[in-house]
Amino acid sequence: MELSLDRLTKQYGRKIAVDCVSATLKPGVYGLLGANGAGKTTLMRMLCAVLESTSGEVLLDGKEITSMGADYRNVLGYLPQDFGYYPNYTAVEFLMYIAALKGIPKNVAKKRVTELLEVVDLSHVANKKVKTFSGGMKQRVGIAQALLNNPKILILDEPTAGLDPKERVRFRNLLSEYAGDKIVILSTHIVSDIEAIADEVLLMKKGKFVLQGTVPELIHKANGKVWELSVSPQEARQWQTKTTVANLRHEGKEIILRIISDNMPSERAVPCEATLEDLYLFYFSTEEGVK
Amino acid sequence: MELFWLEHKKLWRKKIVKICVLLCFVYCVIFGSILSFQWFGFGSSDDYTSAFGNNFDGYTVIKDSQEYALSFGGELTDETLQKIVSNYQQMEADGMEEELEKTDWQIVNSWLGTLYPELRDTSNYKTMISYVDPDKLTGFYERRQQVLDEFLEVSGQVGAEKEFLHQIERKVEKPFRYEWVEGWSTLLGSMVADLGVVMALFLGIVLSSLFAGEWHDNTSTLVLTTRNGWGKIALAKILTGLAFTVELFALLAVSSVISQLFFMGTAGWNMPIQNIKLIAVAPMNMLQAEIYEYAFVLLGAIGFAGIVMFISAAVKNNVLTLLLSLAVVYGPMMIAEYLPYEMQKALDLIPLVGSSTDIFRTNTFRILGKLIWSPYLLITIPVLIGILCMPFAIKSWSRRMKA
Repeated sequence: MELSLDRLTKQYGRKIAVDCVSATLKPGVYGLLGANGAGKTTLMRMLCAVLESTSGEVLLDGKEITSMGADYRNVLGYLPQDFGYYPNYTAVEFLMYIAALKGIPKNVAKKRVTELLEVVDLSHVANKKVKTFSGGMKQRVGIAQALLNNPKILILDEPTAGLDPKERVRFRNLLSEYAGDKIVILSTHIVSDIEAIADEVLLMKKGKFVLQGTVPELIHKANGKVWELSVSPQEARQWQTKTTVANLRHEGKEIILRIISDNMPSERAVPCEATLEDLYLFYFSTEEGVK
Repeated sequence: MELFWLEHKKLWRKKIVKICVLLCFVYCVIFGSILSFQWFGFGSSDDYTSAFGNNFDGYTVIKDSQEYALSFGGELTDETLQKIVSNYQQMEADGMEEELEKTDWQIVNSWLGTLYPELRDTSNYKTMISYVDPDKLTGFYERRQQVLDEFLEVSGQVGAEKEFLHQIERKVEKPFRYEWVEGWSTLLGSMVADLGVVMALFLGIVLSSLFAGEWHDNTSTLVLTTRNGWGKIALAKILTGLAFTVELFALLAVSSVISQLFFMGTAGWNMPIQNIKLIAVAPMNMLQAEIYEYAFVLLGAIGFAGIVMFISAAVKNNVLTLLLSLAVVYGPMMIAEYLPYEMQKALDLIPLVGSSTDIFRTNTFRILGKLIWSPYLLITIPVLIGILCMPFAIKSWSRRMKA
């Protein structure tokens, strides 16, 4: 199975949301990493055939997905970023409804819904209305609905948003187990989630893939760009305004800054091991006021 | 089929739907029919301040009135009319105030005003039935024919149109059958006729969220990525909208008919509608008219549902959909009187804008040179408009979903 993105472009008026993106995705977990507005959601919506591209195409095993229609939707599972639900439905009713929309026979759906509610740890509230759920619980209902048809292509837009640390770990494990011979694409800006489960990371900026590779490969690219520097509290403020500071911790009267920089920021700076978060900050330091 | 049942269940689960159905039922059946029959419509007068001051004895009054009317022999002739009027005057002279309530005095008075205008005494504050000389009430059917002719002339309905209406009128059987008319007059003149106007409001509220609600609930993307896609779901939604319309109508109509049967029974079903409005030309009896009026409401409601669903599919916002849907019905109603007559007639073809009481009128449409009696078009065009809107609703929704 191969999902190919061929010069995929989406333009809204004069704004280019996704700019001539190409990639070939084979079974595995792909982490789509990028700042808000980088074009992740637009790209995912095009991959789901919910949004028509301005140019370019998405092919599944050589077939254009929009022309595949129901055949493509049959192998697709999607959790939208702004996941909506019917407030008066219980978790079971909602999942049974989506199962019917997905064309799953009722008896199969019943079994699958029970299984999935167990998997996402919602069995105990299966008959409670979704509107009474917390944000994290709603998100887990969303994850369950995406998995209902056992999709070969699973697209999850910000799946860990609203999940507490325990739920996130549970979700990561679920996804790792699930992936196998499937293509899983998840977008997030929670770098640690990607670091933990993605086989390959696609770093997106201003509608383009700026980097692509496995987590170790990408981390390797960030090596030599991460420094630690011990400064006084007064100096710390100055450093924060002139460089990208990834972290700041107190050690006695001194403050240890973790600085992301192409060059050694100071003679006193010490090079240190990079993480994916460092790489993210290196590319997006100017995007969201990280500096 | 499963999708339809799911959509149908989804619609009925909404609290707003249950509230709307309950309010509609309370307004149309409890107030509009049951309480109207038993209390403020037909209850005997008590404090005379308003209809709400009536006694809670409508059932007895109706039964007494029906019995009283039957005592005139069941046929409306000059002699019958004279007898009705003289009996009334006698009861009035004897101070039998309560007995007067069971007479058809309002209907009879309208006949006198229409057919015997020369007997009207403008200096007398009383109603005509109280003072006209019964012996002068002759030539009922000849006078009726003359009044109809004059009315058509004054309305500009001459030549072929006049002949066309006369042809219809010739089928009206004479002499008219006469039983208690007041109940049928209220039933056909307002109870059933107003049903559509009330249904429009509640159908608008319920159906406006049918398509637009998917955006409100943020579920449109989910729907689009499922195997069945928007097409089958759109069809299921259309069927749901239609089913809900029929269900709401059935609830109101069946309950109203049960209430009607309880209070009025079937007495007088075969009287001609001319008893209610003398210059009506339709050769219909009360039962036929009632069937027509209910059919008008049902078909108009289906037509209106089609329009609401189209707007709901084309507009993403529930509130805007509701406002536009209500504007479709109540807008033309509000502006109609300021428009030329032909335009008013055209607006009447919009679902639930026209009135089922056109069966009492002499309106016609001329289409491709052919004259058509307006009730025929008022019952068919609105439902056709609604049906035409349905494929466009599906198309609009798909365009919106893909946008």
